[in-house]
Amino acid sequence: MNAKKLTCKVASIGAWGSYFDSWEALQQLLSGSATPDIRNKGPKPTIIPPNERRRAPLPVRLAVESSWQATQAANISPETLTCVFVSGLGDTDLTDYMCKVLASEHKELSPTKFHNSVHNAPAGYWTISTKTMTAANSVAGFNHSVSLTLLEAMIQCESENVPIMMTFYDAPVTSILQPLLSNNEAFAFSIIIYPKSSDINGISISACVNSNEYKAWPTLHSTNSDICSLYEENPSAKILCLAELLTSKKDGAGISMPLSAATSLSFERN
Amino acid sequence: MNVDIIDYESCTAAGINMSSLREALQQQQSGLIKNNLPYSELDTWIGSVPDIDKVTDLKEWQSRNNALAALGLEQGTLRQTLTKLINQYGSARIGLVMGSSTSSIDRTETAYTDLDDTGVLKPKYQQKQVHNPHAPSLFVSHYTGIEGPALTINTACSSSAKVFATAARWLEFGIVDAVLVGGVDTLCLSVLHGFNSLQLLSSNPCKPFDQHRDGINLGEASGFAILQRGGESSNSKGIRLAGYGESSDAYHMSHPHPEGLGARMSMTQALKRGNLNPSDIDYINLHGTSSRANDLIEGQLISDLFPKTTVCSSTKAWMGHTLGAAGITEAIIAMDSLLTGFIPGSMNLDSLDHALDFSIQAQSSSKECKHVMTNSFGFGGNNCTLLFSKVS
Repeated sequence: MNAKKLTCKVASIGAWGSYFDSWEALQQLLSGSATPDIRNKGPKPTIIPPNERRRAPLPVRLAVESSWQATQAANISPETLTCVFVSGLGDTDLTDYMCKVLASEHKELSPTKFHNSVHNAPAGYWTISTKTMTAANSVAGFNHSVSLTLLEAMIQCESENVPIMMTFYDAPVTSILQPLLSNNEAFAFSIIIYPKSSDINGISISACVNSNEYKAWPTLHSTNSDICSLYEENPSAKILCLAELLTSKKDGAGISMPLSAATSLSFERN
Repeated sequence: MNVDIIDYESCTAAGINMSSLREALQQQQSGLIKNNLPYSELDTWIGSVPDIDKVTDLKEWQSRNNALAALGLEQGTLRQTLTKLINQYGSARIGLVMGSSTSSIDRTETAYTDLDDTGVLKPKYQQKQVHNPHAPSLFVSHYTGIEGPALTINTACSSSAKVFATAARWLEFGIVDAVLVGGVDTLCLSVLHGFNSLQLLSSNPCKPFDQHRDGINLGEASGFAILQRGGESSNSKGIRLAGYGESSDAYHMSHPHPEGLGARMSMTQALKRGNLNPSDIDYINLHGTSSRANDLIEGQLISDLFPKTTVCSSTKAWMGHTLGAAGITEAIIAMDSLLTGFIPGSMNLDSLDHALDFSIQAQSSSKECKHVMTNSFGFGGNNCTLLFSKVS
């Protein structure tokens, strides 16, 4: 059996990073604007109740911020969305906290930090804050996090005929692990997709899995060096190549990205 | 749903492979022991797999979690089945979906106890493919030669139940011709001391659904199953994935919804997808952690949704709660009952919680099963239910 072509409509996008706090601001950087001098501190998504927000780790706040932006941009009720959250690196600050405490004599962990350390903490905070009871997935794919999540979300959208929100997020890596996982930038990006048959307004994209065909990540068109280094080092920021495709004015434009050691995922704007 | 399970293996404290697990289940022989994990003095019981310590040749991939994955993959006919599939379809057409909650944090813990004088990771711990949440899939692809898409699902204790749902969708869309699904989690200080901080550990062998249960025991496990589109394999065992349900509680990070609304949704969704009624289900392997909250809520849902002809049990008293590996471990126990007609009892159950009334007993039973179910519920309110059926 050959891989079926997957098609969906992109309804809306949310984005947050150190020098952009919305999809509009990110689009300006992608199209060549200079990086602002002032860097944003961590996001404070208002959808998380204040008590919870204070204790929410950065990766959770990143993911919830861009997710909330995406739902607000298209006036979509969050609880109607099935979601897939992905981070290539996880919450290394909490890994660092736990490993330091556990390497010490008194191995007493904070219960809140422990339950926040699960990889699906952003999915948990999101579903709790928005009262979403649909399926919430939380996945990891290291350097292939973006392509694997796009595949997972587009298949789910088509096979179950439901709208899906996917959220990509990665936070700066803690110092001890930094030599291995060298990401210094916070980034989050959310895309809400609908089945191709839905009557929403949105850009239609198609994806194909190609076997025995490895592709490297494409070079960005953006000339902003901060955007290019973000794309290079933050596993979730690899979504920027698709972001560029979505902003390109050319129908029929396409990109390919690596999916595994011997497969690639190619996208076309319909 | 048209997905066949063509091979499976389980590796836990109750037995390192299917044949030893079956024997332990039949003999009611628990693998739980008093906690002896180095550097942990917690008064609890654990389900450890001593043979992990023999797997020491993984080089840059070495971690306790990867060692348990490797040990599990060497059991039964898994390697032969995979080799045959790779030869038949090519390695790019075989997918991998792994579930885990700890990934290889055991290795990060060890590395932190052995930093050099300047506080830097020593060279032997500079393993970027190990210190990240995708480590189980990176390692298993490397170990097996699978070159198709490889995804890791980390939804805490529902992780390796959800792998079946993702694999089924990949097969339906022809992304691959076969999928190896798996779950692997190992005992480490993070989980023992983390669950201790939540006051969820029992200092006794766990007693799921018992009136006097007082907490959970943690365990480690790896489990694997190989899935293909229905009818495409000459090697079929006659077991089909008949349905799945996935839902969220939207309630609390570490406490289940008090009325079990999310859990109810995942069970009813699985039945609907499988086009089955509750009375069709012969056996349910429950999540049954032995925590006060989970067992009360899950038990009440079962009595509300299922008739007494549906036999239920929790098998966690054999190997403990194996977290991200629990989903597949219990899916395997449930699907194996389709082949053997043996339904494990709920070991250590002396007296059912007085607030509960459903079909559960300590003794094992025999029944020709056609449809079986299993539940997995995780932190963050993440729920998954799986349904398996016998095909003639």
